[in-house]
Amino acid sequence: MYSFDRVRILVIEDNQPMLDICRTLLLTFGVGEVLTARNGEEGFKIACKENPDIIIADWMMEPTDGISMTRRVRKDSFSPNHYVPIILMTGFSEKKRVVQARDAGVTEFLVKPFTARDLYKRIAQIIERPRQFVRSEEFFGPDRRRKADAVFNGPFKRESDVAAMAAQNIRKKEASLELDKLRKESGLSKTDKIGDIGIKRVDTKTLDMNKASEIDFDIDFK
Amino acid sequence: MTDTEDHYNMQPRRKAEFYNPPNHLKLKVGNGGLTENILNKAQALLENNSVDFTPLAEMYLDAMMKGIEQARTPSPDLNKDTMIAAILFPGMQLKANGGMFQYQLVTQIADRFIQFIEVIDTIDPDALEIIIAFHTTIRAVILGRIKGDGGKRGEELITALIEACHRYFEKKQQTR
Repeated sequence: MYSFDRVRILVIEDNQPMLDICRTLLLTFGVGEVLTARNGEEGFKIACKENPDIIIADWMMEPTDGISMTRRVRKDSFSPNHYVPIILMTGFSEKKRVVQARDAGVTEFLVKPFTARDLYKRIAQIIERPRQFVRSEEFFGPDRRRKADAVFNGPFKRESDVAAMAAQNIRKKEASLELDKLRKESGLSKTDKIGDIGIKRVDTKTLDMNKASEIDFDIDFK
Repeated sequence: MTDTEDHYNMQPRRKAEFYNPPNHLKLKVGNGGLTENILNKAQALLENNSVDFTPLAEMYLDAMMKGIEQARTPSPDLNKDTMIAAILFPGMQLKANGGMFQYQLVTQIADRFIQFIEVIDTIDPDALEIIIAFHTTIRAVILGRIKGDGGKRGEELITALIEACHRYFEKKQQTR
């Protein structure tokens, strides 16, 4: 079982009853110390002084909101830990808001109202599946790509993607050589038409990668 | 050339460096997660909190009304986004906090309200009428201290507001 007694969490929330609720939930989880602040400015100061293990912040706060606080934690030279996991709490759930939070360097997004289990799941996610960090010219924060897309068909944006693409090309070349071998074994020359190599059209949204039948190729030798 | 190489997006590829910070948290907490017993206890505390939500709700409703007044008689130096934000943000607070303090119906209504506000281009008189209807309904729920989802009456209120939103968008489409 998890033992949170050595964990220190900073909760930043301007709404006192909500702050009390978060504190109570975390203490019930067994968190050793819950630090509190009433806005992003105060929260950043406490983060610098106390270096907590996790920060949980509300989005809408005056004078400094949770997004600005996140940017400071990630980029400010006074920040003691640029990698600290940050959970952003908000009533917003629209995609554009999630993207805004993600681009500021937020680790997890917790939509209010939430249950005790929702809060626990975000914390468990941080513990069990920590995100790698990315530094590019205009971004520093947790990797914004949540999952590898096996059938990704969009533009490659990172230089490292080019390496992945090169590896993919090598695999394609190997498959082509394998086909040549099959041609040879069947007594066909390279100029002979093998027939339709029909690739099953699959709905990538519902694609189950565990089912080989959905991702294989239909090769019809005529 | 592959499909991906041939993509129309020809923005320069970014140099990205990757870091895997040490997972100190995992070392501190160990394995196994939390027990159902602890999670149930935490949930019970959340559901049984005795905080009176009405003063908070009144504060957000007042802020929303100020935004509505601003939109009713807009000053020339007030831009559209600021005008919408003044109404949207208190609405978001109502959605966020209602359900945390047993007013699930407030959350449901405010959620619909946010969905409406997030997609409208401008606050015209028709939109303003709908915004006021949402404000009035939430206020009635708070004054009536209707906790939970409000049962059948709550369902009817939400349906009426959704239908009003649909009528608004249908009218907009016809006038285009």
